[in-house]
Amino acid sequence: MSQSRNEKQVLEELSDEQRALLKRVLEIERAKLHITAYDATDDLVAAVKEILP
Amino acid sequence: MKLQSIMLTNFRQFKGSQTFDLTSDKLKPVTLLFGANGAGKTTLLNAFTWGLYGNMSEDVEQQDRMVTDSSWRALPVGDSIEVAVEVRFDHEGQDYRLLRSATLRKESDAQGPMAAQLQLWTTKTDGSSEVSHAPQETILSILPVGVSRFFFFNGERIENLVKKGAYAEVQKDIKVLLDLEQVERAIAHLPKVNRRLTDDLKKHGGATASAIQDSIDSLTDQQAKAKDDLKVVEANLAELDEERSRTEDLLRQHAEAAPIQAERDAVTKELDEARAARDTALNERKLLVATRGFQAFTDTLGEATKTMAETLYQKGALPAPLKREFVDKLLDEGACICGTPLAEHTESWEHVKEWRQRAGLQAVETAWQRVSGQIAPLADAREGLRESLANLMNRIGIERERVARLEARKSELDGKLKDNRLEGVQNLETKRMDLEGRIAVKNQRKGAIETELLNVAKEIEQKTKERSRAQVTDELANKARSRSDLVTSVKRALEEILAIREEDMRLRLDAELKAVFKSITHQAHVPTLSEGFELTLYKNVNGVELSVPKSTGENQILSLSFVAAVSKLAREIRQERRAEGAGAEDAGTFPIVMDAAFGSLDQDYQEAVSRALAKMAPQLVVLVSKSQGLGRVVTELLPYVSHLGVIETHTTAAGQVADDIELEGISYPYIRSGETDHSELKVIK
Repeated sequence: MSQSRNEKQVLEELSDEQRALLKRVLEIERAKLHITAYDATDDLVAAVKEILP
Repeated sequence: MKLQSIMLTNFRQFKGSQTFDLTSDKLKPVTLLFGANGAGKTTLLNAFTWGLYGNMSEDVEQQDRMVTDSSWRALPVGDSIEVAVEVRFDHEGQDYRLLRSATLRKESDAQGPMAAQLQLWTTKTDGSSEVSHAPQETILSILPVGVSRFFFFNGERIENLVKKGAYAEVQKDIKVLLDLEQVERAIAHLPKVNRRLTDDLKKHGGATASAIQDSIDSLTDQQAKAKDDLKVVEANLAELDEERSRTEDLLRQHAEAAPIQAERDAVTKELDEARAARDTALNERKLLVATRGFQAFTDTLGEATKTMAETLYQKGALPAPLKREFVDKLLDEGACICGTPLAEHTESWEHVKEWRQRAGLQAVETAWQRVSGQIAPLADAREGLRESLANLMNRIGIERERVARLEARKSELDGKLKDNRLEGVQNLETKRMDLEGRIAVKNQRKGAIETELLNVAKEIEQKTKERSRAQVTDELANKARSRSDLVTSVKRALEEILAIREEDMRLRLDAELKAVFKSITHQAHVPTLSEGFELTLYKNVNGVELSVPKSTGENQILSLSFVAAVSKLAREIRQERRAEGAGAEDAGTFPIVMDAAFGSLDQDYQEAVSRALAKMAPQLVVLVSKSQGLGRVVTELLPYVSHLGVIETHTTAAGQVADDIELEGISYPYIRSGETDHSELKVIK
């Protein structure tokens, strides 16, 4: 990773679908941050299928 | 999250229902509440955490006595009483009313355990209100309990935040607050998602794609295992590192103690010698007095004897002209030397007998001759005794003084050494070398795992490319491949984002921390936040950075600076939020509620801390006693205060207990006599 890169650049290089999934993944994880034992797999799989039906 | 009000019902000292308004704005973010010792400042702080999370800090004693004592006493057995905390706040455009309450039935004088219930209502901007079905979960998603340590705290204990060994926990909470934790979790969870999605590819994707997927799966397993190994190695390294730093501390102490130890040994030896010399001198004196002490009293005796003898000489009694023995011989023989017979009771006999009375004894004369020869030497001996005694007294004085001086020195050195539990230097040095060796081995292992991870990542990437090119005819398998590609690329992007955020957060936190700390302290110490979020304090001595041990006061200031920096950064990053999309206007905004904000800081520091506090958080509730909060603190904070209040103490204590507090030139009740012990929240403005 080059030092000059920033988060915005990383995001810009993503496709719409990738960006949408990334945002959704973070939303899901953030909402369950306080539950340490949370297994996000089901919710994340659902999110992927929502974006690529 | 911004606090609007708090209502306490029979909560500890707060009898009945009492409410305090906490609404504030950007210009006046501070609520300042004064309270005497025991008034309930810590209770009020804990009312927030009890309301939000159902727990109170460990320093709150008698946690089973939640209901105001006097109310409980007055309650008839069999009746019930309510204890509750209601907090109103707004968060990201929604108003919340939180109520944690319990109803306690009195069975005996002791308050039994209670099961408090949490309820949460939300009011949306359109005015509609609804009950939350997962109130605790909602609260935790607004402010996770671990993170709350940065926002609800006791100033006297805040230094624990930056103490050795606290980093692991603090680091995790910071990650949550600074949006790192969710990225880490996503990165950890996505491989599982990928595995699930590629099941279809393996089933229906044909031999080639299926084989490639198998390789990817096995590489992913290898990657997961290597990551776990890396975590273990890193944890081991951290432990070893801590152990090494402890050993080095001991070695340093040893190096510092060694000269003291050597001096104490020398002093102990000299003290023994001094005591022996003193005792010898004392014994010599005893012997001298016992054997020659009488000589001191012979001064007048010698003179008197001499005078008496001289008188006798002058009288002619000495030397005796006639010896008694001669007269006795004449009387025995019955004839005088002149030939006159000396018959008994004749005149001549009587005459000679009278001479007998006047005659001297030969023995007396001999004795006198002996005594007269000793009078002069006796005077010399007396003089000698005086000199010997004077010498001995001098020696005793000197040795006594030496003993006293050495005893004092030894006791001081003992005191210095008392707190040092020192293993032998040799053992410590061996241990340190051993630790160095083990650390080197672990570092090698770490390096090897990191290389393995890099290689595996490359291989996975290669295989993923191969998978893209592989001929797949089945539609389900194709879909699975596209979804897996999507997940893989998102995971890669998240990994890059995590690295960017971690570095960015650390640098910004470090810069902010330095700025706040500098604005408070007058010491030329500079705090630094390491990659592991470890806080160290150093000073620059002629271009060399030396770490400095932190005092309690410095730890408090450092912690406050840290809280200020974390709080500010949490707000900033939400405003510039990136991958997660735009946040609400008040995203990352949290109130700071602090008890004993000024701990045991000096006046200067109190003033600087007050100034920093006012700018520290978008909302600040400061709980202080008169001694901590009057004077400069109040002067600094007042321009920023939107609510000013007193927790008025009512006490049943006998005597003249009443006390007032003067704020802005007006006196307000601070402590009052009362029929029951309780506290009241009084609004001043």
